Amino acid sequence: MTLASHLRRYGTLLGFAAMVVFFALNLPDTFLTARNLLNVTQQVSMLAVVAFTMTVVMAMGDFDLSVGAMASLAGVVAATLFVAGWPVGLAIAAALGAGVLAGLLNGVLVSVLGILPFVATLGTMTVFGGLAFVVSDGRTIFGRDIPASFSGFARSALEAGDLRIPALTLVAVAVLAVIWVVLEQTPYGRRLYAIGGNIEAARLAGTRVVKLRLLAFCFTGLGAAIAGLMYASRVASANPTQGDGLMLDAIACVFLGMTMSEEGEPRVLGTLLGVLLLGLLDNGLTQMNVDSYIREVLVGTIIILAVASGRLGVFSRR
Amino acid sequence: MRELKISGLDKSYGPARVLRGVDLGLRAGEVHALMGENGAGKSTLIKVLAGIVPADAMRLTVDGAEHRLVTPDDAAALGLRFVHQELNIVPSLSVAENILLSRRTPRRLGFAVDWRAMKQRAGEALARFGATHIDPGARAGSLSTGDRMLTVLAGLVAADDTAPSVFVMDEPTAALTHAEAERLFAVIRELQARGAAILYVSHRMGEVVEIADRVTVLRDGAVALSCAMSQTSKEGIIAAMTGRDVADAYPARQTEPGQGAVLDVRDLAAGPASGVSFTLRPGEIIGLAGLEGSGQSEILRAILGDMPCSGTVRHEGRAGPRSAADAWLSGIAYVPRERRREGLMLSRAISHNVVLPHLSRLSLAGLWSRPRAERAEAEARGREVRLKCESIGQSAGTLSGGNQQKVVFARAIAGAPRLALLDEPTRGVDVGARADIYGMIRTLSGQGTAVVMASSDLPELIGLSDRILILRAGRQAGIVPAQGLGPARLLAMIYGDASVEAAA
Repeated sequence: MTLASHLRRYGTLLGFAAMVVFFALNLPDTFLTARNLLNVTQQVSMLAVVAFTMTVVMAMGDFDLSVGAMASLAGVVAATLFVAGWPVGLAIAAALGAGVLAGLLNGVLVSVLGILPFVATLGTMTVFGGLAFVVSDGRTIFGRDIPASFSGFARSALEAGDLRIPALTLVAVAVLAVIWVVLEQTPYGRRLYAIGGNIEAARLAGTRVVKLRLLAFCFTGLGAAIAGLMYASRVASANPTQGDGLMLDAIACVFLGMTMSEEGEPRVLGTLLGVLLLGLLDNGLTQMNVDSYIREVLVGTIIILAVASGRLGVFSRR
Repeated sequence: MRELKISGLDKSYGPARVLRGVDLGLRAGEVHALMGENGAGKSTLIKVLAGIVPADAMRLTVDGAEHRLVTPDDAAALGLRFVHQELNIVPSLSVAENILLSRRTPRRLGFAVDWRAMKQRAGEALARFGATHIDPGARAGSLSTGDRMLTVLAGLVAADDTAPSVFVMDEPTAALTHAEAERLFAVIRELQARGAAILYVSHRMGEVVEIADRVTVLRDGAVALSCAMSQTSKEGIIAAMTGRDVADAYPARQTEPGQGAVLDVRDLAAGPASGVSFTLRPGEIIGLAGLEGSGQSEILRAILGDMPCSGTVRHEGRAGPRSAADAWLSGIAYVPRERRREGLMLSRAISHNVVLPHLSRLSLAGLWSRPRAERAEAEARGREVRLKCESIGQSAGTLSGGNQQKVVFARAIAGAPRLALLDEPTRGVDVGARADIYGMIRTLSGQGTAVVMASSDLPELIGLSDRILILRAGRQAGIVPAQGLGPARLLAMIYGDASVEAAA
């Protein structure tokens, strides 16, 4: 392999390692500690869940811009039902159901009607965002309206010796495991990658393209709803825009992951690395008291650098 | 320019030698027809002339002086202009903008588009072809195909200051009506009278005989015939196009077709074809013959259940499949026409490409994939089709055309299909891989798989089929036994010069 193809394949990984070393040297006492790292996993858990399920649609070459709005909507639906006196379990189920329905709508628009995913989910993003305002009446639902058993979940943890593994981290790990199995170990996942490889060829080789795409968007809707509930539990409140920021970060994580896979395909373990990269960067910069605007500039630069290093191999082949 | 000559043109794609020592001379004021079956090398020759594909070896002279032709810019500088089958126009722009697309837009005040000058110049370019009926202000997308062709031609002569001296037209009449084609011929004569050379590529014998002064026939990448039109005839051209020895190249049938009907098609209409009826026994091979675009692909897609159609299709006594997924599940395998676009996931592993329709069967209860079983299956099928690859895990895009096609075949045979639908199974495949594919088709048929095969390679169709269904003018003209049929006679039947009924 040439230097360029090494860079293409491992550039992001090298950058990741360089970043960890940089923070470890500058924050010797606080960065590489079990407590801090576990804290990071909790901080990124919501983003992780959205990014993992986003990987499912991106494996087919599609993507979903409405995940942030779906997450907000799910949080608001659950909180509104708490206010209406629904039992916690039922309200959660309803919120997850709303996520699946929202995903189903995306799936119908993209897969059955054949609208470009960018356009379809841009539209539904606005619709779901608006619905979140309608459901919550534009207010933030907080305080005594949120049952303690719901908000307590995000504060709970699994005690393992003197380590506390946060419950939200465990949820993210569970979602990771499910998505890994689905994408890497089932015929369904293999077919999604086939669709991503060549949708026409996949259909002619007997893949039920319409149904599979529909289902994939439902996965992403469900993931967004789970993330929305995690968020609401963590801040013990729900407002109609709180999940919106997840979408761009989630897509960024999948892209970062793609630069690390052999064929440049979205793989869920690559996405995990993307999530950790963004999470550790955030954490380190916060500890070094770097302005959050600088963080935005850095994240954007890193994504461009990662993708550009992926193009290196292409140029050297010409 | 008096004469543009190329000689000793060689071109290989990997091991496949597509063009072998081709000589071609284009003279000013002459229409030169280039003919040959699909895969004979015509399109590669055009791509070399256009500077899209570099030749391995070629000497190009204009009036004796040597020139190089490596990039599209070289081609343009030599005065070569191309009219492709798919017309490159921007439908949303006006005719005038399309005509002047590659020129500097006429301006006012240095920045605003000078619409009046633009329309006037476009109008002048159109008038040179007597196409005064086209409004330069109309949207190009609203024009008929024939008028679009004239727009493209007007764009070519208006394009820049190098006088165009050679026009290369690739199947220009394929999408034209009779009247539009007549107008195009008038334009060609006009260009000819002004001293342009025209390389005219077409499958249509009638029009070639009518307008061409010289003809060159390619066969398997080499020149099989090159002479003045007056020195040859339709029959001579057909013989040169097909002149391969049919008997030797094709493995003989080892077993007789079985009894019963695997496939029963009644009065099927799909795409341009209608009135298609036939019954197919186990192990029997039926060939679909017709001019390109007569509906062969559509008939196969309709049987696959992937295309709306009327009429009835019954597969093993039941209603035909309603989708490609249904078809694969009920034991129908399909090899599509365009393997890169419709057949393969080029970025994915060979093994994944082979097992895609069989993932459920190779998994535990359809829920848990068994990569080892998938790999083993892909390797076994790969050996069966004599696939040449370093590893079954390498991506399909890294293989040569012939080996890519073998991957598609490995996929088809992996399910031990009862019926195989093959669309141009050897298109763009080198000679060695062809022989392997013929062997595979015979083996399939020997195992009792019924085969419907569309091919524009007539010797191949005759060599493999038991019966041949002839499509002519959008209808099934008849079904003839392949035994004892010659390619020339089959081609005559396709053109309608020989009666099908007499043969049946």
